[in-house]
Amino acid sequence: MNAAPLLRRIAAALADCRLEAVLIGNAAAALHGAPVTTLDFDFLFRTSPANIRKLKAFADHLHATILRPYYPVSSLFRVVDDEGGLQVDFMTTIHGVRTFASLRARAQRLELDGAELLVASLDDVIRSKRAAGRPRDRAVLPILEATRAEARTPRPPRKS
Amino acid sequence: MPKPERRGRRGSRDRTLAALRMESEAALRDQIRRLLSLPMAARTHFLRVRLPGGGSAL
Repeated sequence: MNAAPLLRRIAAALADCRLEAVLIGNAAAALHGAPVTTLDFDFLFRTSPANIRKLKAFADHLHATILRPYYPVSSLFRVVDDEGGLQVDFMTTIHGVRTFASLRARAQRLELDGAELLVASLDDVIRSKRAAGRPRDRAVLPILEATRAEARTPRPPRKS
Repeated sequence: MPKPERRGRRGSRDRTLAALRMESEAALRDQIRRLLSLPMAARTHFLRVRLPGGGSAL
Protein backbone atom coordinates (compact mmCIF):
# COMPACT_ATOMS: atom_id res chain seq x y z
CA MET A 1 0.00 0.00 0.00
CA ASN A 2 1.19 3.48 -0.79
CA ALA A 3 2.03 5.23 2.47
CA ALA A 4 2.15 8.69 0.89
CA PRO A 5 -1.39 9.82 1.89
CA LEU A 6 -0.86 8.78 5.52
CA LEU A 7 2.64 10.25 5.60
CA ARG A 8 1.28 13.58 4.33
CA ARG A 9 -1.42 13.58 7.02
CA ILE A 10 1.14 12.75 9.70
CA ALA A 11 3.59 15.40 8.52
CA ALA A 12 0.82 18.02 8.38
CA ALA A 13 -0.45 17.09 11.85
CA LEU A 14 3.06 17.21 13.34
CA ALA A 15 3.61 20.63 11.81
CA ASP A 16 0.21 21.97 12.93
CA CYS A 17 0.81 20.75 16.49
CA ARG A 18 4.45 21.88 16.45
CA LEU A 19 5.44 18.45 17.67
CA GLU A 20 9.04 17.71 16.83
CA ALA A 21 9.65 14.04 16.16
CA VAL A 22 11.98 11.99 13.96
CA LEU A 23 10.71 9.10 11.84
CA ILE A 24 12.69 5.94 12.61
CA GLY A 25 12.41 2.21 11.91
CA ASN A 26 11.47 0.47 8.69
CA ALA A 27 9.43 3.41 7.38
CA ALA A 28 12.54 5.62 7.57
CA ALA A 29 14.64 2.86 6.00
CA ALA A 30 12.13 2.49 3.15
CA LEU A 31 12.27 6.23 2.44
CA HIS A 32 16.04 5.83 2.16
CA GLY A 33 15.45 3.22 -0.55
CA ALA A 34 15.48 -0.04 1.40
CA PRO A 35 12.98 -2.61 0.06
CA VAL A 36 11.36 -3.27 3.44
CA THR A 37 7.77 -3.02 4.62
CA THR A 38 6.05 -2.07 7.85
CA LEU A 39 2.63 -1.91 9.48
CA ASP A 40 3.20 1.33 11.34
CA PHE A 41 5.21 4.51 11.64
CA ASP A 42 7.69 4.87 14.49
CA PHE A 43 8.88 8.20 15.82
CA LEU A 44 11.35 9.29 18.46
CA PHE A 45 10.44 12.41 20.39
CA ARG A 46 11.35 14.19 23.60
CA THR A 47 9.13 13.54 26.55
CA SER A 48 7.97 16.68 28.32
CA PRO A 49 4.60 17.92 29.57
CA ALA A 50 4.39 20.25 26.57
CA ASN A 51 5.12 17.43 24.13
CA ILE A 52 2.53 15.18 25.75
CA ARG A 53 -0.04 17.95 25.23
CA LYS A 54 1.10 18.27 21.63
CA LEU A 55 0.83 14.51 21.20
CA LYS A 56 -2.80 14.65 22.34
CA ALA A 57 -3.42 17.44 19.85
CA PHE A 58 -1.70 15.35 17.17
CA ALA A 59 -4.01 12.41 17.89
CA ASP A 60 -7.08 14.69 17.83
CA HIS A 61 -5.91 16.15 14.55
CA LEU A 62 -5.86 12.65 13.03
CA HIS A 63 -9.13 11.60 14.74
CA ALA A 64 -7.09 8.93 16.48
CA THR A 65 -6.72 7.73 20.05
CA ILE A 66 -3.64 7.28 22.20
CA LEU A 67 -3.32 3.81 23.68
CA ARG A 68 -1.51 3.29 26.93
CA PRO A 69 1.40 0.84 26.82
CA TYR A 70 1.27 -2.57 28.52
CA TYR A 71 4.58 -1.69 30.15
CA PRO A 72 4.36 1.98 31.20
CA VAL A 73 8.12 2.22 31.76
CA SER A 74 8.59 1.73 28.01
CA SER A 75 7.22 5.28 27.45
CA LEU A 76 5.55 4.08 24.27
CA PHE A 77 2.62 6.16 23.05
CA ARG A 78 0.60 4.41 20.34
CA VAL A 79 -1.64 6.64 18.25
CA VAL A 80 -4.23 4.51 16.50
CA ASP A 81 -7.08 5.09 14.08
CA ASP A 82 -8.30 1.66 13.08
CA GLU A 83 -10.75 2.99 10.50
CA GLY A 84 -8.05 4.96 8.74
CA GLY A 85 -5.52 2.13 9.04
CA LEU A 86 -3.23 4.39 11.03
CA GLN A 87 -0.78 3.34 13.72
CA VAL A 88 1.91 5.75 14.82
CA ASP A 89 4.21 4.82 17.69
CA PHE A 90 6.03 7.52 19.61
CA MET A 91 9.01 6.55 21.73
CA THR A 92 11.27 8.54 23.98
CA THR A 93 14.16 6.07 23.97
CA ILE A 94 15.38 3.58 21.41
CA HIS A 95 18.31 1.20 21.28
CA GLY A 96 21.52 2.49 19.76
CA VAL A 97 20.65 6.19 19.83
CA ARG A 98 21.93 8.22 22.77
CA THR A 99 19.96 11.43 22.40
CA PHE A 100 17.10 12.90 20.43
CA ALA A 101 19.29 15.88 19.51
CA SER A 102 21.94 13.68 17.90
CA LEU A 103 19.32 11.75 15.91
CA ARG A 104 17.68 14.99 14.77
CA ALA A 105 21.03 16.52 13.77
CA ARG A 106 21.72 13.60 11.41
CA ALA A 107 18.13 13.32 10.13
CA GLN A 108 17.13 14.15 6.58
CA ARG A 109 14.36 16.64 5.93
CA LEU A 110 11.62 15.46 3.60
CA GLU A 111 9.05 17.95 2.39
CA LEU A 112 5.53 16.62 1.88
CA ASP A 113 2.99 19.15 0.61
CA GLY A 114 4.70 21.98 2.42
CA ALA A 115 5.10 20.11 5.72
CA GLU A 116 8.52 18.94 6.76
CA LEU A 117 9.13 15.42 7.99
CA LEU A 118 12.36 14.52 9.77
CA VAL A 119 13.62 11.11 8.66
CA ALA A 120 16.36 9.40 10.66
CA SER A 121 19.52 8.67 8.71
CA LEU A 122 19.95 5.14 7.41
CA ASP A 123 23.08 4.85 9.58
CA ASP A 124 20.98 5.55 12.67
CA VAL A 125 18.26 3.09 11.65
CA ILE A 126 20.90 0.39 11.14
CA ARG A 127 22.61 1.25 14.44
CA SER A 128 19.29 1.10 16.27
CA LYS A 129 18.22 -2.22 14.75
CA ARG A 130 21.61 -3.77 15.42
CA ALA A 131 21.47 -2.64 19.05
CA ALA A 132 17.86 -3.80 19.50
CA GLY A 133 18.82 -7.22 18.18
CA ARG A 134 15.32 -8.69 17.97
CA PRO A 135 14.95 -11.42 15.33
CA ARG A 136 12.86 -9.09 13.14
CA ASP A 137 15.55 -6.40 13.42
CA ARG A 138 18.34 -8.81 12.56
CA ALA A 139 16.30 -10.13 9.62
CA VAL A 140 16.30 -6.78 7.81
CA LEU A 141 19.88 -5.75 8.63
CA PRO A 142 21.45 -7.32 5.51
CA ILE A 143 18.89 -5.47 3.34
CA LEU A 144 19.55 -2.15 5.08
CA GLU A 145 23.31 -2.63 4.80
CA ALA A 146 23.01 -3.50 1.11
CA THR A 147 20.95 -0.32 0.62
CA ARG A 148 23.58 1.77 2.39
CA ALA A 149 26.31 0.24 0.23
CA GLU A 150 24.33 0.96 -2.96
CA ALA A 151 23.55 4.51 -1.84
CA ARG A 152 27.26 5.13 -1.34
CA THR A 153 28.16 3.75 -4.77
CA PRO A 154 28.51 6.56 -7.31
CA ARG A 155 25.99 6.17 -10.12
CA PRO A 156 25.89 7.87 -13.52
CA PRO A 157 23.29 10.64 -13.80
CA ARG A 158 19.82 9.57 -14.96
CA LYS A 159 19.01 9.99 -18.65
CA SER A 160 16.14 12.37 -19.30
CA MET B 1 45.71 -25.54 -0.52
CA PRO B 2 42.72 -25.06 -2.86
CA LYS B 3 40.04 -27.71 -2.72
CA PRO B 4 39.71 -29.85 -5.84
CA GLU B 5 36.69 -28.99 -7.93
CA ARG B 6 33.70 -31.14 -7.08
CA ARG B 7 32.26 -33.18 -9.85
CA GLY B 8 29.13 -35.24 -10.29
CA ARG B 9 25.62 -34.69 -8.99
CA ARG B 10 26.71 -33.01 -5.72
CA GLY B 11 28.95 -30.51 -7.53
CA SER B 12 26.18 -29.69 -9.95
CA ARG B 13 23.75 -29.09 -7.08
CA ASP B 14 26.25 -26.79 -5.34
CA ARG B 15 26.78 -24.79 -8.54
CA THR B 16 23.03 -24.45 -9.02
CA LEU B 17 22.54 -23.27 -5.43
CA ALA B 18 25.43 -20.80 -5.72
CA ALA B 19 23.93 -19.43 -8.92
CA LEU B 20 20.51 -19.14 -7.27
CA ARG B 21 22.06 -17.18 -4.41
CA MET B 22 23.75 -14.83 -6.87
CA GLU B 23 20.46 -14.36 -8.75
CA SER B 24 18.76 -13.46 -5.50
CA GLU B 25 21.49 -10.98 -4.54
CA ALA B 26 21.39 -9.41 -8.01
CA ALA B 27 17.60 -9.06 -7.79
CA LEU B 28 17.89 -7.32 -4.41
CA ARG B 29 20.57 -4.98 -5.78
CA ASP B 30 18.37 -4.12 -8.78
CA GLN B 31 15.38 -3.47 -6.53
CA ILE B 32 17.44 -1.16 -4.31
CA ARG B 33 18.83 0.68 -7.36
CA ARG B 34 15.31 1.18 -8.73
CA LEU B 35 14.20 2.63 -5.40
CA LEU B 36 17.29 4.83 -5.11
CA SER B 37 16.61 6.24 -8.58
CA LEU B 38 13.29 7.63 -7.26
CA PRO B 39 13.05 10.82 -5.24
CA MET B 40 12.70 10.18 -1.51
CA ALA B 41 9.06 11.30 -1.45
CA ALA B 42 8.19 8.62 -4.03
CA ARG B 43 9.64 5.68 -2.10
CA THR B 44 6.40 5.18 -0.26
CA HIS B 45 5.09 1.74 -1.28
CA PHE B 46 6.13 0.13 1.97
CA LEU B 47 3.02 0.04 4.12
CA ARG B 48 1.36 -3.25 5.00
CA VAL B 49 -2.22 -3.24 6.19
CA ARG B 50 -3.65 -5.57 8.79
CA LEU B 51 -6.28 -7.97 7.52
CA PRO B 52 -9.41 -8.59 9.59
CA GLY B 53 -8.72 -12.28 10.14
CA GLY B 54 -5.11 -11.69 11.04
CA GLY B 55 -2.05 -11.35 8.83
CA SER B 56 -1.24 -8.42 6.61
CA ALA B 57 -0.98 -7.39 2.97
CA LEU B 58 0.73 -4.66 1.01
